[in-house]
Amino acid sequence: MTYLEIPAWRLSLAALLVVVAIVLSRAASLDLGKDLGIGAIRAAVQLLAVGYALRLLIGADHPVVVLAALALMWAVAAWTSTKRLKHGPPSRVLFPAAFAAIGVGAFVALVPVFVFVIAPRPLLDARYVIPLGGMMLSSAMNVVAQVFERLFASAAAEEATLEQYLALGATPEQALQPHVKAALRAALLPTINGLVTVGLVALPGMMTGQIVSGVAPEQAVRYQIVIMYQLVAVAAVAGFAAAWFARRLLFTEEAQVRSWPR
Amino acid sequence: MDHALLVAREIIVERDGRRVVDAATLVLEGGARASVTTIAGPSGCGKSTLLRAIATLIPRTHGELLFEGRTLGDVGLTEYRRRVAYVPQLPQMFEGTVAENIRTGPRFRGATLTDAQVLALVERVGLGAELLTRKASDLSGGERLRIALARSLANEPRVLLLDEPTASLDPVAARVILDLLVGVAQGGTALLAVTHSVEHAAHLGGKHHLMTAGVLS
Repeated sequence: MTYLEIPAWRLSLAALLVVVAIVLSRAASLDLGKDLGIGAIRAAVQLLAVGYALRLLIGADHPVVVLAALALMWAVAAWTSTKRLKHGPPSRVLFPAAFAAIGVGAFVALVPVFVFVIAPRPLLDARYVIPLGGMMLSSAMNVVAQVFERLFASAAAEEATLEQYLALGATPEQALQPHVKAALRAALLPTINGLVTVGLVALPGMMTGQIVSGVAPEQAVRYQIVIMYQLVAVAAVAGFAAAWFARRLLFTEEAQVRSWPR
Repeated sequence: MDHALLVAREIIVERDGRRVVDAATLVLEGGARASVTTIAGPSGCGKSTLLRAIATLIPRTHGELLFEGRTLGDVGLTEYRRRVAYVPQLPQMFEGTVAENIRTGPRFRGATLTDAQVLALVERVGLGAELLTRKASDLSGGERLRIALARSLANEPRVLLLDEPTASLDPVAARVILDLLVGVAQGGTALLAVTHSVEHAAHLGGKHHLMTAGVLS
């Protein structure tokens, strides 16, 4: 593989791009200079830390270490997906559901690809598992957060209607069905948009990175196709799982509407 | 062996450690001229809570519900709710037309009402065919209540649980609804109505109960 290394002093030159944004923000009195500055520093620190962590992980080359890193990423993704929701149960109640929904989505997308498609040796090769696992966990996190937010918000707004559906003999599944459909459509649309515009609007980050690192473009493209298909599976499976858990949290065992006041 | 149509025995509902309904027992009889039962009482006495507990829409702390001598477990929750219909004080209209609203309950069990059946239901609540294609959300308060009744009657219930059916209506509209309900009871559907109006309870006739601080007398 051939690629051009970026020395630290040239990396700092790239920071001037953020300065451009800060100057423009000041000129337009957007009051975003501080946020831009802190954001840029945070991004650099987090990525540098991840870089060193990946180096250690790849260097350690031990399945237990790889699995531990994956578990930590999984937990952070689950916790993040339950934060900032304006409706529904508190994070401590939602966390196990988010953890399971994200897990099942990522599992379905990752395991077959690692066993049958990429098939690295060893199977838990950190160089493959960590970046691909991170992508799937992050995608599942966004889908789960979106499904939770939409379902809990619409259930709160239409609690009386849900109850009247139940009073007319609807099962919780039937009562919630229109909301589940709307939430899943909204969660899947960005992935479908990504599928139809990939390569036309933007070159995906991983593919760009691989090409810059010297990977043959046709191989980089194959990786990207696999990733796109994985993202479709993640969105669908994590979305359905999140909707299933949300329904269990929205109704009691006796099919009564359970409200979660905030 | 003859069984009462609906028995609510020793119903207790507690909320936030407070007893809202205290060991209430009610028996509703069926038959050709089904029973009418009313519960009157001041606001906050627990009468609506009792009605919602009998409708199984809120958890009961204690107590048993028997429909035609069978327990809830034997009847099945969705079947019980079809047979013991609940009409809230301010019914929500579902998206779509009046006809689609009326078809909702049967649709949940995989049945489709014919146009003639829908028309019969809307006429049973004193409204005309011209209303069927209107958007349900455009209806007035009185019309909404009647369509909610028709929607419940579409499930062919044996019991109608009515929460303050006349509370949001003017005296003329209230009288129309009360006459309509008397007709429903004469048609063989038992009524259990909660009302704060002693006059409206008397109009419906039947057995009257008074509820005070969660206790039924």
